[in-house]
Amino acid sequence: MGILLFISVLLVAACGLIYELVAGTLASYLVGDSVFQFSTVIGTYLFAMGIGSALSRHIHRALVHRFVWIELLLGVVGGFSSALLMIAFAFTQGFELILYALVMVMGILVGLEIPLLMRIVKDRYHFRDVIAHVLTFDYLGALGASLIFPILLVPRLGLVRSAMLFGLVNAGVALWSTFLFANQLTRTRSLRTACLLVLCGLGAGMAEARHITATAEDNIYADEIIFARDTRYQHLVLTRFKDDLRLFLNSHLQFSSRDEYRYHETLVHPGLAAVPAPRRVLVLGGGDGLAVREILKYPQVESITLVDLDPEMTGLFSTHPVLTKLNDKSLLSERVRVVNADAFPWVDSNRDSFDFIVIDFPDPTNYSLGKLYTVAFYRAVARHLSAQGFMVVQSTSPMFARDSFWCIAQTLKQAGLQTYPYHVYVPSFGEWGFVLAGTHQYIPPSTFLPGLRFVTKEGLPALFQFPPDMSPLSMPPNELNSQVLVRTYENDWKDISH
Amino acid sequence: MLGRRKFLRVGSAALVGLSLKSEQKIAGSFVNDSFQTGHLLRARASFPPPKRTEKLPVVIVGGGIAGLSAAWRLHKRGYSDFVLLEMNAQAGGNARWGENETTAYPWAAHYVPVPGPKAIYVRELFEDLGVLKNGQWEERYLAFSPQERLFLYGRWQEGIEPAVGLTPRDREQFQRLEDLFTDFRKRGSFTIPLELGRSSKDKDLDCISFLDWLVQLGFDSRLLLWYMNYACRDDYGALAADTSAWAGIHYFSSREPEEKGPLTWPEGNGWITRRLLERVGPRIRAGQMAHRAIPTRRGVSVFSGDTEYQAEFLIFAAPTFLAPYVFEDFPRFRDFVYSPWLTANLTLERYPDSRGAEPSWDTVFLDSPTLGYVDAMHQSLRTHIDRTVWTFYWALVEGSPAQNRQLLLEKDWAYWKEAILHDLERVHHDIRQCVSRIDIMRMGHAMIRPAVGSIFSEERRYTQRFHERVLFANSDLSGISIFEEAQYHGVKAAEKVLARLRGRP
Repeated sequence: MGILLFISVLLVAACGLIYELVAGTLASYLVGDSVFQFSTVIGTYLFAMGIGSALSRHIHRALVHRFVWIELLLGVVGGFSSALLMIAFAFTQGFELILYALVMVMGILVGLEIPLLMRIVKDRYHFRDVIAHVLTFDYLGALGASLIFPILLVPRLGLVRSAMLFGLVNAGVALWSTFLFANQLTRTRSLRTACLLVLCGLGAGMAEARHITATAEDNIYADEIIFARDTRYQHLVLTRFKDDLRLFLNSHLQFSSRDEYRYHETLVHPGLAAVPAPRRVLVLGGGDGLAVREILKYPQVESITLVDLDPEMTGLFSTHPVLTKLNDKSLLSERVRVVNADAFPWVDSNRDSFDFIVIDFPDPTNYSLGKLYTVAFYRAVARHLSAQGFMVVQSTSPMFARDSFWCIAQTLKQAGLQTYPYHVYVPSFGEWGFVLAGTHQYIPPSTFLPGLRFVTKEGLPALFQFPPDMSPLSMPPNELNSQVLVRTYENDWKDISH
Repeated sequence: MLGRRKFLRVGSAALVGLSLKSEQKIAGSFVNDSFQTGHLLRARASFPPPKRTEKLPVVIVGGGIAGLSAAWRLHKRGYSDFVLLEMNAQAGGNARWGENETTAYPWAAHYVPVPGPKAIYVRELFEDLGVLKNGQWEERYLAFSPQERLFLYGRWQEGIEPAVGLTPRDREQFQRLEDLFTDFRKRGSFTIPLELGRSSKDKDLDCISFLDWLVQLGFDSRLLLWYMNYACRDDYGALAADTSAWAGIHYFSSREPEEKGPLTWPEGNGWITRRLLERVGPRIRAGQMAHRAIPTRRGVSVFSGDTEYQAEFLIFAAPTFLAPYVFEDFPRFRDFVYSPWLTANLTLERYPDSRGAEPSWDTVFLDSPTLGYVDAMHQSLRTHIDRTVWTFYWALVEGSPAQNRQLLLEKDWAYWKEAILHDLERVHHDIRQCVSRIDIMRMGHAMIRPAVGSIFSEERRYTQRFHERVLFANSDLSGISIFEEAQYHGVKAAEKVLARLRGRP
């Protein structure tokens, strides 16, 4: 009987540690700051164990009976702790309150276990041996738990089911105790019934864990990820929440389907509608085909060349049904030619001329992308402009990155172009800016295509006006050897986030 | 069940297995070796008698920047009645380049600082090559940002001059030295080309080593002395202790502190060589070593291969240490010391871990015996770059040049390969998984060294009075081996020849 008894000590100790680890890990996952979370969870837990130990002196009789109930209670609370915490985070504001309350309850129950067990077996052994054996197995259990938790449980079972598995262990120990200490018990039958009920409950929980996790996670990450892939060039994530489709490249939001029309209409129409007879159009970047969708609305446009680095990106936007619905299958149009190439060398080696050029690259977050915002690049692009042509450049936010926006405008000027900066409010982005540039004077179009949702003749002048908080700043041009824009951009966003 | 011993054995084997990463096989060899042909001269090997003669007004010997610049000048002045004899299979000298399927890369010199107003020939060349247009430097040819970085104390800093971990004392010394260099700059006697400013008033600075000069002025900051040593190793292939103080000062005081970066290209100064070859290529005979030249009052006979070139003038643009082997009565100079170098081109299948830093143009490690490396793809206009070539520079400065030349010849390719990887591994732990090829070029006499006493050496003047029909053109004439000096002497020799040819009746 001795060894069986001490194995139950080991199991009980393992359960105690697992609940503590589950709580700490979940808090780190969900709230972040793992050092803080683990410190406070462990501290609270140990403190609660102390309370449990102190309370144990108030239990005078029916020790085994109480021990079985404590195990059952712990099995239920600990077993469902992880699921409960996830749901609390997903659906309530009081995650921390529930976290520490749960940790307190579990800690108190765990704190009661060992003193009770010691007292139950105290008459069978020398006091010396009781202490030695119980504590030895207690610590062994802790070691085992701390090893299997990261190696097996988290990767194989996940946090919700790991907690439930150990809830089952607690309930199992309870049931087992009714046999082990049967001679010290009365009313064993009702106890065993309770044990079986808890075991069934937790078993059902294990089976349903997937649903619990899924429900909670859907709420935690708000949007459902419908596509995620590391291509050779970037990390591409597509999310959907109800009717809102969002594309993230390297974690930067590229568009939200709810308001992208504002962005893409404003990117394309003010410039393109001002070109008398646009036949050939070039799009650099913009592999989502949304700018192309706007350009295809012009029946005079005979050909559109889209140059985008990433074939997986243009492939996805040519084939995925949700995405081709969004871009009206623009990339599949006969008028569109998709070229997967690095933009600068392509611009350098190509000799075609275009009536309108759209430059829609990701923001200049690093020196590589910074090359695509330089005087040298704009000079090379400008060589492709036909006599009546214009180009438009996605130029980050004149509000959040005001220095950067005016640096891009200055860079275009330095390349010998006349510039016409403008901006638009896109709810998912905030204020966003563009610079229209050409070798001749821009005369705003007298009419726009019918059916546009945002750009109108009447609304156009307002786009070209900059209120004082976005008004022009004197900035140096961005050149390959200085890359001032990358540094400026970094500072702009640093200022925002602090 | 496993016994305890067996368990330990299996367990430790498993751990060892985990620590062994799959290592890429690294290919490569020595390339462009030239000492075999060069040593034929030294051995005074018997060369076959000429089978044919060719009469020409001008022969240029040596296809480095000096010789090519002389050729460029003649060509530009509408004069194409000359040949250029180059010993190696490829012209360019210290501005040679290589190329693989990823990129072109330099074999030696990899940049030219933006030339100042006095370097008129360099400016003229750059206008000719489209590098300087309407007073503006072409953006694509200026070194892209980020340019230089130094790895020190486990982190990166921008620029090579140490700026991290300086004590107030270090800072004071850096500032004091910078002020000194500014004063020297204002004097106007440290110029490029060197000949236009060099003044005998500064002769005493040539009588002392750069290190002694610094120490005498109370400079003892470890970081400052490291930086001064780095500058001398990088430009002169010598320690500050083996460099004339005059040359050390010239390095820092001859150029305006410039805002724009240096001019550079994927293949380094090989780009200039290529452009020059486009213009004068047909006049160049590569793989032709001039093994004997006999000047007379009426002209110069130059023997190479099976041909005797009967020229009116010879522009000798090979290094001066070869002159005693080519001319009968040319003395051996004591003050002409040459630094041995090693360069290597590493083909990388991907960029190694760089501890969070974005790739830079030029990378240097503090306290490394080597000079670091330059990334050939840095000047690429592409936004996505995976494969590249790094050019690794190593001036062998510890010990005498003769010892180091011996070392270059003795040690095999694998020895140098390991030494290079070992150096890089200190910063890029996974470099061995990234490199697929290492080609190594050994240069026993890579460049003239501005040793103590060499700048104002009397021997330097000898070349001018050696013979009226032989014009020397190389950077040895200046005593420092930089592009601008080689180009200056090449152009000047061409001008002199043209004047003589046109001045005759």
